[in-house]
Amino acid sequence: MGNLVEIENLTVSFRSKRRASLFRSAPSLKALDDVSLTIGENETFGLTGETGSGKSTLAKVLVGLYRPTSGSVKILGRKIDYKNRKDIAFLRRNVGIVFQDPVRSLNPSLTVKEVITEALLASKSIPKKDYDERIDFITKLVGVTRDLLPRRPGALSGGQRQRISLARALVVPKKLLVLDEPTSALDVSIQAQVLNTLKKLKSELDTSYLFITHDINVIKYVSHRLGVLFYGRLVEIGDTLTVDTEPKHPYTQSLISHVLTLKKAWLQETVISEHRPAPSGCRYRIVCPAAFDRCGAVPSWVDLGGGHLVSCFLYDHGPNIQSQVGLPTEAAVGEGDLRVPPHETS
Amino acid sequence: MAIDDVDGTDDRQTLAQEVGGPASGVTRLAEGGRDGNLLDINDLTVDFVSVDGKVRILNGVSLNAKKGEVVGIVGESGSGKTTLGLAILGLLDSPPAEIVRGSVMFEGRNLLKLKPGEMEKIHGTGINMVFQEPLDSLNPVYTVETQIDEALKVQRKRADSTAMQVTDEESKSVIADLLRNLCIDKPEEVMERYPHELSGGMRQRVAISISTIEKPRVMISDEPTTGLDAYVQNRILGMFSAQRKSGATLLYITHDLTIASQICDRIYIMYAGRVMEAGDTASVLQNPLHPYTSTLVASVPQGFEDAPPLAVQLGEPPDLRNLPGGCKFNPRCPYATDICKREEPKLEHILSGRYAACWRVDKANGKFS
Repeated sequence: MGNLVEIENLTVSFRSKRRASLFRSAPSLKALDDVSLTIGENETFGLTGETGSGKSTLAKVLVGLYRPTSGSVKILGRKIDYKNRKDIAFLRRNVGIVFQDPVRSLNPSLTVKEVITEALLASKSIPKKDYDERIDFITKLVGVTRDLLPRRPGALSGGQRQRISLARALVVPKKLLVLDEPTSALDVSIQAQVLNTLKKLKSELDTSYLFITHDINVIKYVSHRLGVLFYGRLVEIGDTLTVDTEPKHPYTQSLISHVLTLKKAWLQETVISEHRPAPSGCRYRIVCPAAFDRCGAVPSWVDLGGGHLVSCFLYDHGPNIQSQVGLPTEAAVGEGDLRVPPHETS
Repeated sequence: MAIDDVDGTDDRQTLAQEVGGPASGVTRLAEGGRDGNLLDINDLTVDFVSVDGKVRILNGVSLNAKKGEVVGIVGESGSGKTTLGLAILGLLDSPPAEIVRGSVMFEGRNLLKLKPGEMEKIHGTGINMVFQEPLDSLNPVYTVETQIDEALKVQRKRADSTAMQVTDEESKSVIADLLRNLCIDKPEEVMERYPHELSGGMRQRVAISISTIEKPRVMISDEPTTGLDAYVQNRILGMFSAQRKSGATLLYITHDLTIASQICDRIYIMYAGRVMEAGDTASVLQNPLHPYTSTLVASVPQGFEDAPPLAVQLGEPPDLRNLPGGCKFNPRCPYATDICKREEPKLEHILSGRYAACWRVDKANGKFS
C-alpha cells in the first residue's frame, strides 16, 4: 500500500505587504506551520478547521499555486521541486482542484462545453475524437444536463456552476482531486447529490480526495481519515470515526461539540472567547481550558495507536500528567477508555 | 370563520390563521392583528417583471408569527425566501418587483398599503432585517464605532427627542459594552477598525448588533450564518436566542435544516415561491408531510464514509421561468402521479398544527405514498 501524497514538515509563510516600521522588515505569517500528512491510494482525507486555519493554502500548494517555504511534497513518490516546470506539470497532471467559489472559478466568456474542453486540451493525454464521449460521461455523472453545454456560466445557477467545475476537474482522470469547500456554496439537496456523486466517482475513477471543509457533518460523511488544523498547525490526525467519537485534542473536542445536527436540540449561549492563536508554542494554549506550563513549547506528535496522532502535551507522558492538570473527564485517555460511539446506538 | 376582508381573501387566509396552532380563532384584535399574530402575511404574490416577461417569485404565501416566536423559512435557492423577507420590509424595488395581491399585516396595519415615508418609522423599532452578506450592509468607509454610534444616535432621537447629548466617552463605553456582549475580544480595538478589516463572523456580529440596537419587535434574518464555521455559527445563533428571550419575534430564513432544528419553533418549507409544508419544527423534521421536506431532511449528511448514499431526490431547484404544471415538485417527486402533474395542491390541514400541499399525503396517518 503506497501513499499517493506525502507531505512532510510543510511550512508556507506569507509576507505582509506593510513593513512593521522603517527599520523592521514586514512581518511574515505562517499560514501552514510544519504540517505533515499522507494520503493513501483511493483514500479520502478530510481536512477541517475554521476560517483562516490554512486549509485552502494547503490545497493551493498541492496544485502548485503556492510554493512551500520549507518542507517537501511528494506525489506518487516523486518529490516536487516547485521551481521546476516539469515538476509543476507533473503535479497538475495528477492533481485536480475544485474551488469553493463557483462564480469566480469559471471563465465567464466561455461556454460550458468550452470550459470542460479546455481541461481536455490542456491534458494532451486524451485523443480529440474521445472528447465528446468524455464530456458526455462526466456531465452525466456530475448531473449537468446537455442543454447547459452551449450556455455561459453567467446564465447558470451556483449549483450548476459548481458541478461544471467538478466536471472540468474530473474530465481528465486524476490521481488526486483536491476539493476546497466544494459544496459550501450549494443548496442542500444539490450538496447531497454532489456528495453522492463524489463517492460514486471515487470508486469508478480510482481517485483519492483531499476534502477540505469546515462542515464536520460533511467531512464525516465523506472521509476515511481526518486532519484538524488550527491556525496553520495540524493538531490531530486519525481515522474519522475515532477522531469524531474520541477526539483527544482539546480543540478537536470543542470543535466537534459545536457541530449542529438534526437531532441535538442544543445551542451554545455561553460566551466563547475569540480564537486567538498563540504566537509561540501550542497555538491553542490561549483559549485551551487545559493549558498548563508546558504548553509554551511546541508540542510534538503523540501516537495513540491505530494511526491516531495528537499534538498535545496532555498525552505526552501518559495518564499521570493529566490528572495533575485536572482535564475534563471526557478528555481522559488510556487503554481502558473504550466508550461506545454514540452513532452505533442511534 | 368570519374574517375581516383584507385584500385578496380566499381560503388560504383561513389556513394562515390556523397554521398558528391551538391559539387560532380565539381572540381577534381590531384590524389585522388576528389571533395574537404579530405578523400576518396572507396570500402574498409577487412578480418580477423583466424584458423576458413576468416571473412569479412568490405565489400565495401565507405565514404568521406570534410575539416571541422563532419562525423558520426554509428553502433552497429560488424558493422566494429572501423576496419574502424583502417584501415584508417594503424593500422590493418596483420595477422589477410587482406585488400582485396579498397583505402583510403588522400590528394591525397592512405594510403593503403604507404611505411613502411611513415604512421608515417601522424599520428599526418595528421590523429589521439582517442580511446574508454583512459587507453589503456595513458602510466600508466608516469604522465600526461610527456605524454603531450612528444607530445609537437614531435610537436616542426616537426614544426621546429632547435627550441630552451623550459625550464621546460615554458613547464609546456603550459601544464597547455592546461589542463585548457579542463575545468580541478587545472591543476597543475592534471599534477602530473598518468592516474589511474584520473576519466574516465578526462583521456579521457587528451587523446584527446594529440591527438589534433599536430592539425591533420583529427581526428577519436572511441566512446570517451561511459560509461561517461552526464556532461563529454557534455564537450568532446564541445571539439570536438571546434576542428571542428579550421578546423579539424572529423570522429566520435559511436553507440549513440543522440550524432551523436548533432555533425555530415552527418552520415553513418553501419551494418555487410556495409554502409546501408548515408546522412545528420537531414534528416536521421527524415526520415530513411533503416529499420535498423529506428530501431536505435526507440531504443532511449522516454517518460515516461507509454510510449509504444520501436518499436525496435528483433534480435541482426549479427554474421559476419555466415551472412545471401541477405540483411544482412533481418532476423530482418519486410519488408523483397524474393528478400531481395536472393540478396544483393547496396547503391543507393534515394533522394538528401541520399543513402540507401534497396530493399524495394521507390525511389519516400523515404518510405519503
